[in-house]
Amino acid sequence: MLRHRVLVSLGLAVSLAVPVCLAGVSWTVIAWLGPVAEMAGNADVVPVLLHPLMSEEQRQEWISEQRAAHPEWRVEEVSPSDLAARLTRWFPYLSDLLEDDGGMLTPLIEITTRDPESVGALEGSPAVVAIGPRSSVQRTVGSSARAVGTVLVLTSAMLLLAATVFAAVWVHLELYRHSDEITIMRLVGATEPAVRGPFLFACAAPGVVAAVLAAVGTSLAVGRLSVLTASLGLPDLRLSIPVLAMEAMLACGLPLTAAAVVLSRHAAADL
Amino acid sequence: MIRLRNLAKSFDGRPVLRDLNLRVEAGEFVFLTGPSGAGKTTLLKMLYAAERPSAGEVWVAGERVDELPPRKLALLRRKVGVIFQDFKLLRSKTVMENLTFVLRFHGIAPREAHRRAYQVLKRLGLHHRQSAFPESLSGGEQQRVAIARALAYQPRLILADEPTGNLDADLAGELLSLLCDINYQGATVLVATHDHSLLDSIPARTLVLHAGTVDYDGAWPP
Repeated sequence: MLRHRVLVSLGLAVSLAVPVCLAGVSWTVIAWLGPVAEMAGNADVVPVLLHPLMSEEQRQEWISEQRAAHPEWRVEEVSPSDLAARLTRWFPYLSDLLEDDGGMLTPLIEITTRDPESVGALEGSPAVVAIGPRSSVQRTVGSSARAVGTVLVLTSAMLLLAATVFAAVWVHLELYRHSDEITIMRLVGATEPAVRGPFLFACAAPGVVAAVLAAVGTSLAVGRLSVLTASLGLPDLRLSIPVLAMEAMLACGLPLTAAAVVLSRHAAADL
Repeated sequence: MIRLRNLAKSFDGRPVLRDLNLRVEAGEFVFLTGPSGAGKTTLLKMLYAAERPSAGEVWVAGERVDELPPRKLALLRRKVGVIFQDFKLLRSKTVMENLTFVLRFHGIAPREAHRRAYQVLKRLGLHHRQSAFPESLSGGEQQRVAIARALAYQPRLILADEPTGNLDADLAGELLSLLCDINYQGATVLVATHDHSLLDSIPARTLVLHAGTVDYDGAWPP
């Protein structure tokens, strides 16, 4: 009897842990995609590398000239430290090289424009070493990342909905199984806390196990994905504490909330 | 102990009890009889608040039952011992646990609860089945466990719904004498039955329900 009960509870815990774990992995990937997705909004930014031997004054003068010549452009300087931070975000293995505020980096200018091709006019300038891509690659990458993020948000919402429905059905079945017992307890004078306590505990225990399983599953999945991204030269996926906390809250909270709601309705129908 | 004022109950528009007025004093022994469908079980259910009246008032032990919040309802139910027609035993608990589990809600310590439960079981001839589960008991034994559970915490009011329905004549007689003993000790007893031999066995106030109203209130036979 006890063994059967333990097996059923474990089955319930695993069934709840799966959608919660997948939702946690989705959130981790969404957070990882964040910086790429931002590119979609800055689609018309063209990076321009200036000559490394230019002095600060020359650089400022060049920027002023461009602003005057092209009022439709927004010309902004990216400091070496900002550039170093951006590079280490996506290529962490460069951090040792860039740790001195990116002192070795050449000055970078970003030109925001609706017509990226017009930046090509700078190619002949002796101050310019190189001009970045003027096509919509960045925009495509950014919008693709955003689309993937949206799909993952929807997927995680569906998974959570599935987990909620599962928890509600499970609690209803539990209540159906214990309905007589609960009714009898009420009829012989048990107070509501005395009636609800064991039932809530019976629902919470698999929830706690589900939270642990979801956390372990998410850690393993994120670890595997990190290996994959590392092999592609992309930054690591990192499992954040808020994601784990959210998983624990969902795994424990969904069955408990469902149990509390179902018990209240049962109590109202019983009286 | 019990007071009903203009009590009415209907299910899906079909009246089961109509404009019922009744008073049962503390320490009385009362039979409630009538044909099937007369409303006996419904009336008992309203006394322990398993049903709400459609109209009127239900007073038990000085409390208006139909308006009690759940917490107070639990306290009231501890004063009432109910012997259910369908026993309502917990299948997952042994005979002894079915009794001690109820005593636990009454704040009785486990050792004392066990002692008290054993005494009641012994009185009902069930002490040798204390470790059995309800499913392994006969109908009569299950009914006696249900009775034992209602008597274990010495309630002030006992409501019995067809308590002898599954008992042979000897056991029915024993049960009746047990209820009389409890009544003699001060508890109010209300027994719903359609078994006329039970009504004949002791002189007691008898209420005859017919079509949802009290048709007769007095000594038996009318």
